[in-house]
Amino acid sequence: MRYNPVTEEILAELKEIVGEKNVLSEKEKIEAYSHDETPKEKYARMPEVVVKPSSTEEVQSVVKLANRELIPVTPRGAGSGLSGGAIPEHGGIVLSVENMDEVIEYDFDNMMMVLQGGVITNNVQEDLAEEGLFFAGYPMSLESCFIGGNIAENAGGGKAVKYGVTGRYVMGMEVVLPTGEVMELGGKRVKDVTGYDLKKLMIGSEGTLGIVTETTIKLLPKPTKEVALLVLFDDPDTAISTVPKIMTETGIIPTGIEFMDRRSVQASCEYLNEHLPYQDCGAMLLIEVDGAEEEQVENDYFKIGEICEENGAQEVYVADNHTTRERVWDVRRNIAEAFMVVSPEQSLEDIVVPIASIPDLIPELDKLSEKYDIQIPCYGHAGDGNLHATLVKNPEHSMEEWYEIEEKCLEDMYEVTYKLGGTISGEHGIGSKRKKYFPDAVSETELELMKKIKKAFDPNNIMNPGKIFDLD
Amino acid sequence: MKIITPIKQVPETSNVKMDEETGTMVRDGVESIINPLDLYAIEAAIELKEEHGGEVIAVTMGPPSAEKAIKEAIAMGCDDGILLSGREFAGADTWATAYTLSRCIDDIGDYDLIFCGLQATDGDTAQVGPGIASFLDLPLATYVSSIEDVHIADDTTYTEPDENYIELERLLEEGYEKLRMPLPALITVVKEINFPRLPTLSGKRKARDKDVTPKNSEHIEMKEEYLGLQGSPTRVVNIDRPKVTRGGKMIDARDESKQEEAVEELINYLNANELL
Ligand SMILES: Cc1cc2nc3c(=O)[nH]c(=O)nc-3n(C[C@H](O)[C@H](O)[C@H](O)COP(=O)(O)OP(=O)(O)OC[C@H]3O[C@@H](n4cnc5c(N)ncnc54)[C@H](O)[C@@H]3O)c2cc1C
Repeated sequence: MRYNPVTEEILAELKEIVGEKNVLSEKEKIEAYSHDETPKEKYARMPEVVVKPSSTEEVQSVVKLANRELIPVTPRGAGSGLSGGAIPEHGGIVLSVENMDEVIEYDFDNMMMVLQGGVITNNVQEDLAEEGLFFAGYPMSLESCFIGGNIAENAGGGKAVKYGVTGRYVMGMEVVLPTGEVMELGGKRVKDVTGYDLKKLMIGSEGTLGIVTETTIKLLPKPTKEVALLVLFDDPDTAISTVPKIMTETGIIPTGIEFMDRRSVQASCEYLNEHLPYQDCGAMLLIEVDGAEEEQVENDYFKIGEICEENGAQEVYVADNHTTRERVWDVRRNIAEAFMVVSPEQSLEDIVVPIASIPDLIPELDKLSEKYDIQIPCYGHAGDGNLHATLVKNPEHSMEEWYEIEEKCLEDMYEVTYKLGGTISGEHGIGSKRKKYFPDAVSETELELMKKIKKAFDPNNIMNPGKIFDLD
Repeated sequence: MKIITPIKQVPETSNVKMDEETGTMVRDGVESIINPLDLYAIEAAIELKEEHGGEVIAVTMGPPSAEKAIKEAIAMGCDDGILLSGREFAGADTWATAYTLSRCIDDIGDYDLIFCGLQATDGDTAQVGPGIASFLDLPLATYVSSIEDVHIADDTTYTEPDENYIELERLLEEGYEKLRMPLPALITVVKEINFPRLPTLSGKRKARDKDVTPKNSEHIEMKEEYLGLQGSPTRVVNIDRPKVTRGGKMIDARDESKQEEAVEELINYLNANELL
């Protein structure tokens, strides 16, 4: 596909639509829109222009113009993505929804709210807490990411074991299609089987099928008590083999079960100057339970903690107030940040396997670490079978060597993952980062069907082209 | 060794909201926790116990719900706890609180050390620790940042002051002070002293199974007229929020020719304020 450049005339027209100050074209200003949270050196691409519409109508006008002139449009939320989704692969227009950050309606009778796509996920929580409600979509990046970005990636997070991922809470949305029409999908109806579920198709479509301008989300009563257990184990095997038992043997579904291997724990604790006795521990689990009754939550965490003790835990720490909970979650949340200090060259992966297969996955990762002579710290949402195994460049390798190792090691890692009934991304998406590996992750029939769907939505292939798969 | 740690239950203030109109804290739905600085006192006490043997007893004065603070202290590793709770204690200021706690500590008896946090995050007075020391007529060290040594003679009757002592470091404005104090003694600790541990499941189990029956002036001998509001010489007349006026200093280093000058200015500024 050949795209047309953004000319002076087009710039003028864009300024006409969204206003002069919402069109950025100076290099220094648009640089920030050339990357997301994937390594810049490898994945960044400069847009030609960044536009920041403030309404659905403005989004429509921009998209219509782009479709008419054959200019690629890359929708962008907060840019916290980990698969290159918001990067303008083919230049053109980055359409940032950052100005669309209004709450349109609180509908407490229906326990729902309607908001624009650019609202920061955590801001929703703060408003709702006062009403005793919460939104159960909870990516770890919630202080920066946008609700629109969460929908586009169908984000998961630290509470998905009990609450599931973002998609479960999306009741309706307003979408601007690649051709510029507006479409309402779903609504406030709890049940709806009227035709194909296009809303579900949009969820997780990584901005390739349209732009989410508004959404209606379902809210839940906010649990009044949350307790986190930080459990230290001798080694990853013991920790991981405890994970399925936590649920099968107690009958309790925790909100989250997070896993951290020795390297992750050490890097993070050193980074945080945390003095927990982590030196002799080979892995940790962070398990959280919540509920409306203090006594119930206490019973639950005792049962879970005791299962951990029976399975050889070195120690079970109990964090049952805000301060201590933040302290233990900090260890989990700062792993990625801590490894940036150790080595900024890395590939943060997102493989997912059936939960019962995690114990088989860990030794395979160790083998790869040895084979390629790199560190592969591993942490993530063990309760969902979703692990962020991370390839970290060995400082002794040159960049060329590293890129070669990265590619080969990923092929091996994905191979192992498929064998265990898993796949290559649980929550971060394919984007541009994993595009190369995508055809192996799906059948040919499936891939062809996806391409046809893409063409039906986006005949000129202007909406976030170069993501997930390429059209022929 | 017997160590007593007086602790206070305070509202969890890390994500607290203020009522803009009244200038007071919104307490609805706010969790209660052990005063964060008291955790350092508990940790210091437990570490000493682990090294020398003995027991640690937490003491708090508060409403019946302050039982939770005692249980949390036990979950961290304290051996026992006493909750002082009764109508007669309501409205106590720092003087009456120090008196009440000192009576309870006296009632426990035979202690070697009393560890307090520097101050409570809700009142910020730092008076209760020293107050207890004065009621019990004990040597006192505040702002303790490190315990170097504790020496207790086999015969703990405290007849030989030189045989029973604690060596410690106090944090001063411009350095440290090393002290050797005879025991029994009271010390208040600062954050530099240690890293408080988290409660464990086995600790929680111990705490769950422990009965913390509240005690009051019927169980412990106290002078009625020294208790609660009527025993408090302090009167809160008005609460005012101070205006925070933080000044900033901008040093212009935008253009490269000025950068050396700017660095010099910064160094001079830091030197002048004794920050280097
Ligand atoms: C520290 C950290 C922790 C993270 N933790 C998690 C986690 O726990 N779980 C998880 O799932 N992810 C996690 N992520 C990844 C990331 O935060 C999520 O994918 C998030 O949903 C992206 O939102 P965003 O607004 O930043 O989107 P962006 O990165 O801006 O965009 C992501 C994709 O969505 C598309 N898009 C954005 N807005 C719209 C819109 N309005 N309409 C249509 N398409 C749109 C973009 O085109 C792009 O393809 C984490 C990232 C970081 C940096």
